[in-house]
Amino acid sequence: MKKLLKHPVIDTAIKALNRNRLQTGLTMLGIAVGVATVLAMMAVGAGAQRSIEQQVRAAGLNQITIRAGNWRPKLEESDEAIAHQGDARESLRHPLERLHDDVLPIAFHPEDDPMEKHDHPTARQRLGDLEAGLGSAATMTFDDAEAIREMPGVQYVAGGIHENVRVHFGEKRWFTRMHGTDVQMPSIKRAWTFTAGRFFTEREQANADEVLVLGQVVADRLFGAGTRPVGQKVTLWNQVFEIVGVMTSATWVVQPAPGDDQFDAVYMPYTTTQRLLNLSKLNDITVTAESSGDISRLSREITKLLRKRHGIGDNAPDDFTLITQATKALTTGGLPPSVARAVASNVAELEKVTLEQLALTMERASRTMTWLLAAVAAVSLLVGGIGIMNITLLSVTERTREIGLRMAVGARGRDVMRQFLFEAVVISAAGGLVGIIVGVLASIGIARMLQWSTVVSPMSVLLAFSVAAAVGIFFGWYPARKAARLDPIVALRRE
Amino acid sequence: MIEVHDLAKEYHVGDHVVHALKGVTMAVAAAEFVTIVGPSGSGKSTFMHILGCLDRPSTGRYVLNGRDVSTLPADELARVRNETIGFVFQGFNLLARTSALENVELPLLYTRKGVVRAAERRDRAMSALEAVGLTDRADHHPNQLSGGQQQRVAIARALVTQPSLLLADEPTGNLDTATSHEVMEIFARLRSDRGITIVVITHERDIAAYGTRTVDFRDGLVVSDKMNAPREAAVGAGHR
Repeated sequence: MKKLLKHPVIDTAIKALNRNRLQTGLTMLGIAVGVATVLAMMAVGAGAQRSIEQQVRAAGLNQITIRAGNWRPKLEESDEAIAHQGDARESLRHPLERLHDDVLPIAFHPEDDPMEKHDHPTARQRLGDLEAGLGSAATMTFDDAEAIREMPGVQYVAGGIHENVRVHFGEKRWFTRMHGTDVQMPSIKRAWTFTAGRFFTEREQANADEVLVLGQVVADRLFGAGTRPVGQKVTLWNQVFEIVGVMTSATWVVQPAPGDDQFDAVYMPYTTTQRLLNLSKLNDITVTAESSGDISRLSREITKLLRKRHGIGDNAPDDFTLITQATKALTTGGLPPSVARAVASNVAELEKVTLEQLALTMERASRTMTWLLAAVAAVSLLVGGIGIMNITLLSVTERTREIGLRMAVGARGRDVMRQFLFEAVVISAAGGLVGIIVGVLASIGIARMLQWSTVVSPMSVLLAFSVAAAVGIFFGWYPARKAARLDPIVALRRE
Repeated sequence: MIEVHDLAKEYHVGDHVVHALKGVTMAVAAAEFVTIVGPSGSGKSTFMHILGCLDRPSTGRYVLNGRDVSTLPADELARVRNETIGFVFQGFNLLARTSALENVELPLLYTRKGVVRAAERRDRAMSALEAVGLTDRADHHPNQLSGGQQQRVAIARALVTQPSLLLADEPTGNLDTATSHEVMEIFARLRSDRGITIVVITHERDIAAYGTRTVDFRDGLVVSDKMNAPREAAVGAGHR
């Protein structure tokens, strides 16, 4: 290194830059700011793109949810449960449903319809909890889920029952969502990770065991943050449940928050829910396709299958609602607000969003971001470049005699030019290096403070550095050529 | 060594044409020590620039070592300056914040015979400094050296590429009398020991006496060209 610094061209450059330390420093600062901006913007841009992709994938572009009832998703939905109940009664008027009810022995009449009068103790009486069994009715059964599971192209299937519940741990209690679901749910929700324990097992599901997986929010509220409540017992519907696991978001893009229905929630085998609440139906079925491109076809097939299974005539409406996760991701949030707004404003009817449209919209949004980025980069590098031209011109003027002398002892125009070009590039490259460090730190800072996703790729670092060096060459060219074209006699006479 | 034939140079200053040289014809043999005297505006500096390949004549021919250099392209002139000619200036023209040794190395950075390695550069610069008796000042920067020492460093720099022609434009102009004579002694010794051809411009008659021959310029023409008394006499005159 020391030997390299002694290389005459480098040595001369360092001496020259040292001479105008303040100007050199300020110019480097200009370039550094430019490069840092470029890098940070690229990091934010790439991060936003990745977080959109991650978001859509985490939400599951390959995911279809079939909900009982034929309500339509609305943009602003205040209470899902009410909507469920209203439409569920409607669906129970279906002849097949009545026929089905008649066949069942009266004593075991399921309590799927909360409006029904029962001639046996209902869940709230049997379990001694006024809130038990207040949830929605359903038109879908476990058999529907199994039938879907058999369809080609289907990856995972999870039937679900959802209730609002109160979970007690000693004196503490927390009002939250209960999801009776399938062991396959963690495979569907790829953005989950377990901070303690595990999900419930096949065996626990088959036995309808009273086991519970807590979302992070519930665990924090009941046991305090940072604890591992696995093995602890909590009470729900006056029944004692054993906690087998605590799960949280695997991506910091989605942070657990109270009322988020995912991490402010408890999970148990749907069989346990059905056993305790004496239900035979499912509120919804979540399906993932093996390929996300298969969603449209699979949606049609599932609709056809369920209509057939539910004996719905050609003119009658569906007694279920099929939604893909692409629409859900957009309507229920999860995307950064700015991105969601950008995407939403480009789509007239969110329900009709197809994967292709979504992809197109995302591409359009990221292209806008890229242009913005390019504009900021261009301006800051232009300013930095003018600074380089300025300081190189200053250097040429100050060192005119030196240039004359070098020419007198045998330097050609190109030797002089190389020297000054090198000095310009040294400034820009050094500024570039500083800019890269600042830019990387800024990206980390943005990620930490604004909770944005940023991605600094080696490629973008290389690009930022090359751009800085190119700016040096471009803006150093004119002053360097001016130096190279000096007449040695005139240059030597300059004071 | 040097042959110039009917050398003329004119400058355009606004609408005026200044005839700096109006047809100079002379020859300098190898190992000659020529001093050029003349008042300001006599054309002696212009003549020197052309001799030093820093400038080209408007008309006429300049043959250096048997080669016509008056029409060479700029890069070739740079090569001639580097390999054949050594320059000494009135104002020394040393690089500030740069050691004497590195100043002397400077011409070696521009040699065309391939890159001179750092170690070799250093050795050659040291021996050039030795020739002017300044090896003990190699690491000093110009501002730590006296005027005479600075001019000796400049002479070492002119010598480092081992040129056959040494040109000095008023090398004693910024020096006191004693130092001036020291510097001229060095020139005289370089001629007698190494056979280097030397051309020195000066104002002062006693400095001009160091030359084996003195040429007088006036109004762009040579007005007198005569051999001087042997050097020993000149030295005697110098030390009085």
